[in-house]
Amino acid sequence: MDVDMDVPMHDAVSEQLTPTITEDVDASGDDYQDIDFKPGSSGIADHKASKPLELTGENINQLDKWIEKLGKCEILSEDDVARLCKMAIDVVQFEENVKPISVPVTICGDVHGQYHDLMELFKIGGPCPDTNYLFMGDYVDRGYYSVETVSYLVAMKIRYPRRITILRGNHESRQITQVYGFYDECLRKYGSANVWKMFTDLFDYFPITALVENKIFCLHGGLSPMIETIDQVRELNRVQEVPHEGPMCDLLWSDPDDRGGWGISPRGAGFTFGQDISEQFNHTNNLTFVARAHQLVMEGYAWSHQQNVVTIFSAPNYCYRCGNQAAIMEVDENNNRQFLQYDPSVRPGEPTVTRKTPDYFL
Amino acid sequence: MANNLRKSVLLGQFDKINETIDASVPHKPTLTNRHEDSSEEENDTLGELTNCNSLNFQHHSKSTSAVDDDPVEGWDTSFEARETIISKERNMNFNLYASLPKEHTGNSIPIFIFHHGAGSSGLSFANLCKQLMNKLDGKCGCFAFDARGHGQTTVIDSNVPVKYNQEDFIEDLLFLISYISENHLRDIPIAKRSIILVGHSLGGSICTFTVSHLSSELKRQLIGVAMLDIVEEAAVDALKKVDHFLASTPNVFPTYKEAVEWHIKHGLSKNRESAKIAIPALFRKFASGKVVRITNLSTFRPFWDTWFTGLSHKFVTLPTSRLLILAGNDNLDRELIIGQIQGKYQLVVFQDSGHFIQEDAALKTALTLIEFWKRNDNKNVVIQTNWGQSKK
Repeated sequence: MDVDMDVPMHDAVSEQLTPTITEDVDASGDDYQDIDFKPGSSGIADHKASKPLELTGENINQLDKWIEKLGKCEILSEDDVARLCKMAIDVVQFEENVKPISVPVTICGDVHGQYHDLMELFKIGGPCPDTNYLFMGDYVDRGYYSVETVSYLVAMKIRYPRRITILRGNHESRQITQVYGFYDECLRKYGSANVWKMFTDLFDYFPITALVENKIFCLHGGLSPMIETIDQVRELNRVQEVPHEGPMCDLLWSDPDDRGGWGISPRGAGFTFGQDISEQFNHTNNLTFVARAHQLVMEGYAWSHQQNVVTIFSAPNYCYRCGNQAAIMEVDENNNRQFLQYDPSVRPGEPTVTRKTPDYFL
Repeated sequence: MANNLRKSVLLGQFDKINETIDASVPHKPTLTNRHEDSSEEENDTLGELTNCNSLNFQHHSKSTSAVDDDPVEGWDTSFEARETIISKERNMNFNLYASLPKEHTGNSIPIFIFHHGAGSSGLSFANLCKQLMNKLDGKCGCFAFDARGHGQTTVIDSNVPVKYNQEDFIEDLLFLISYISENHLRDIPIAKRSIILVGHSLGGSICTFTVSHLSSELKRQLIGVAMLDIVEEAAVDALKKVDHFLASTPNVFPTYKEAVEWHIKHGLSKNRESAKIAIPALFRKFASGKVVRITNLSTFRPFWDTWFTGLSHKFVTLPTSRLLILAGNDNLDRELIIGQIQGKYQLVVFQDSGHFIQEDAALKTALTLIEFWKRNDNKNVVIQTNWGQSKK
């Protein structure tokens, strides 16, 4: 094993022990060798189209039925999920790494399987497609309705491809979803991992960043010491499992920090970046600011780095117990911004968080 | 012949200890190397009712009837030395297992100091330490000890009441860290020392609460704290139900082997290699041949409420790098959920592991700790950037 201290971090880490620097180690090693867990094992990407999906009367009809069903918080059949994911691949695979977006648009952060709060979001922000939406990732895990949430957003994406954009978050990953709920939820609701395989194969094709009117750079996590210009994002090969390191990992994992410069992220993946970095990035790329999600903020949104970075978090009372507000950011035709905050949706049968008590001494 | 040899070694050691005590240097070590260790067998003839806390070193040394099974057998496959550290201030003879880095090359040498949980022992970390030494080619330090009321750590003056408050464990750990630093780490340049505190269960809480009490010199050497399977809310809940656990956990087994088997069968251990060393260390063999659990968990009852209060907040705000490894499904409390999604610490979940992560998933834990050290040690890390290299 390499313990040469003189080797810079990226070189040292490239000789991976196991993928231990992510939130999940369990999917590494032997488990990950399991053929079923390999990218592409669902087969939904086996026959990709060579041009974007064209909406016909027939598939619009199909999509509207699915959307109606999902709008009632009912899951699709496994076969329909397969059709949905195949269609979705033929939409998102043609989107750029840096998806250009026009105003007006409403920008949203983490949702994390809180389906009822997503419905609340559409009430607050206005129904899609009347309102254009940009979601910055983390649709699954933690909440109890990851399947319904991601199915709904994907169906809307196919139905209204120019009205809604769904970026990839660090939870749109095979490894992370095996630990934080989506995998278990798929097993529980479908009796097998097939649906999980389809969605995680689809996630590989999600675009990773968006650029609103060339002024607001949007992504899930933050900046990377290997990405100085937006053009460098365009050069990345994004169709893969979220890597444990490198520029694509950083874009989905990094956080702004009060300290200047680059820092090691306490998360174990990505980096922290200071105000000097944000200012330089915005200056270099002629941006107004960077919009990102990834971190809970109690008011639902928070400016940092003197308005060089905004964090938007759209899962109110995260995990049904954090007591935070959620927010979305409207950007109108004149590039004016407005934040809309909201609280958890009121509904019967609010999930109560039951926790298993450990059966050991301490 | 063998008995004579054993006797002379034992007597020699006893003399050494007495010298140490006489010299009134409370922190001086009595090193036991692996060849001498047979003399450390627990030759207890006092009967099964004797609590370990009432046994001091003299009892051990004076007893003569040999019992063949060594309760801490196998420690030497993981550690270089076993040592009894006498602290009159703490009123304890601490049993410490130690391995030192075999060379001091490189500019950062990881020093792992482990604290086990309630009812466990330093040898819970035996397999993990072996894996760490293997993976780092021996270029790290590993120190694990038996906390008060556990394993081979004993009380000096049994007339003084022994307490198990959080602060008592913290004081013990502070004493041992200083001792290790002044004695074992002496030859390692201070600038190269990268101390990582690793605590399992209660030990995780002790490590976390110890940080703010470290000297500024030691704080500079500390690069991180790792907690293994401990969450404040779940721990407090578990204590409420502990009577059920105590009632269903036998304290006496006919043999060490059966004790090991029982723990494996009941899911308290999932890794036989670890269990073979860690489980016997929890028991003392008596003349009848039976083995009896050393630690009486119910004696800790009056002190439970001091153990975990405020742990999650303390952990996410530690002024050093933070790693939390959990077993099974993550069961974070509110403070830890918020801390995680705000990126305050690294969370790793081993889904296949039981509570004793360091035993069940020794290799994965070792790899995770090594990665944690590599990432977070500022002596070690240069962040590469291509900014300013291209254009304009």
